[in-house]
Amino acid sequence: MIIVDDIYKRYQTSHGPGKWVLQGISFVIPPKVSVGLVGRNGAGKSTLLRLIGGIDQPTKGHIERRCRVSWPMGYGGGLQGSMTGRQNAKFVCRIHGHEDDIEDRLAFIEDYAEIGSAFDEPIKTYSSGMKSRLQFGLSLAFDFDVYISDEATAAGDAAFRQKATTAFRNLMNRSSLIMVSHSESTLKDFCTAGIWLDGGNVHWFNDINDALNAYKESRSK
Amino acid sequence: MMVQYDYVHPRSPLSITLSVWNALFLREALSRLSAGRIAWLWLLADPIMQISIMMFMFIVIRMRVVNGMSTEAWLIIGMVFYLMFKRAATQVQNALGANRALFTYRQVKPVDTLLVRAGLEGFITTLIAIIFGIGGTFFGVALIPDDPLTVLMVFFGMWLMGLGFGLITSVAVQLIPKMGTILGIVSTVLHLSSGVILPVSNVPQPYRDWLMINPLLHGTEAARMGVSSYYHAITGVDVSYIYKCAIVAIFFGLALQRRFEIKLTSL
Repeated sequence: MIIVDDIYKRYQTSHGPGKWVLQGISFVIPPKVSVGLVGRNGAGKSTLLRLIGGIDQPTKGHIERRCRVSWPMGYGGGLQGSMTGRQNAKFVCRIHGHEDDIEDRLAFIEDYAEIGSAFDEPIKTYSSGMKSRLQFGLSLAFDFDVYISDEATAAGDAAFRQKATTAFRNLMNRSSLIMVSHSESTLKDFCTAGIWLDGGNVHWFNDINDALNAYKESRSK
Repeated sequence: MMVQYDYVHPRSPLSITLSVWNALFLREALSRLSAGRIAWLWLLADPIMQISIMMFMFIVIRMRVVNGMSTEAWLIIGMVFYLMFKRAATQVQNALGANRALFTYRQVKPVDTLLVRAGLEGFITTLIAIIFGIGGTFFGVALIPDDPLTVLMVFFGMWLMGLGFGLITSVAVQLIPKMGTILGIVSTVLHLSSGVILPVSNVPQPYRDWLMINPLLHGTEAARMGVSSYYHAITGVDVSYIYKCAIVAIFFGLALQRRFEIKLTSL
């Protein structure tokens, strides 16, 4: 369960505080409910994911994570360009306290990512699709209750997306997902509930289709 | 109705920090020693070349002895002790930029990367100092310390100064534009005023007292005194002054890290 309690967020700009990105939003994500975030560019979707993931702090209000939450995956974030895939994977295993069974987890990640010998090449030589594969494999190697994905599957090919979908279907009974995606089919595949971000406020929908419809309606106005 | 949760914290904050330090240390050590084919050789070749060039210049001006110490010993001690400060300071200063991608994991705090880098650099420079000590002695340079305890204390003090300086400048270079250029000039001034390559005993008063504000000058002079009891150090050298300056710098640096923690992760 993740409790978002009346949070406000704005960033400092070079000329003083910027405008509010999120204005007093509150919601509770119950256990095992996968949520899709929709909204136009700049609505604060990625900001909200970063706040839930704990890598940024709200200006006001607080967020409680009563479960194990992954880091936000997407856009090659969290991968150090000068290190190889294997070295990155080792690093992530170590910070999550898996020094003892590091070999098993590395084997899993290498096997899942299916990037062949590139696993031992520096990340900066990777394509965005290869990065996605590695990131996805990395996050699946740990037992998170909630996985956070910021367009994590967007760069992958059809085969990879199929694989990701299957992986999440298998996880559904013990884990859930909070995701941002501009692809309607991806959202419908993965999510049950939906959040529509609009002008710094949130609207919660128990059905992702309703969220998508509300968002679509606002666009046609 | 709220669902009951059975979530417990599996790891204590201390054990998380320790595993982050372990992971960062291994990552930094790897990239420091394996960036390029012979990165480890350059760690040693760089100070050797600097010392050789200065030695050549001292030979050209026929300066065989500096204040009762052979020029070779004078140069090696000054360079190696200043190197401890310099390397720790620069590595810590650049740690945030080099580890930016890793702040995606909420376990990794900016200050972790700085402390781990300082630790690694201290370790590497200690090895370099030992190699210089053994190598110099082998070639007949008097580098066996008369007062090993002082030498160790000063060496550790130089590392603390590097850590304190780096903690402050790491925040400055991230938050103030063009700060890197200004710090480059500061570093040149520090190098020249720390008695590493220019004997400060030639500087007339009252300017010499002004130079004595620089704790690194106290470090290089105290180190030479510790190695050879026949060395005529400038008056007023005080080992405790290095520690006082270092403690103030580290405290201020850590306070800056705390104050700007959120800003540094979300840049």
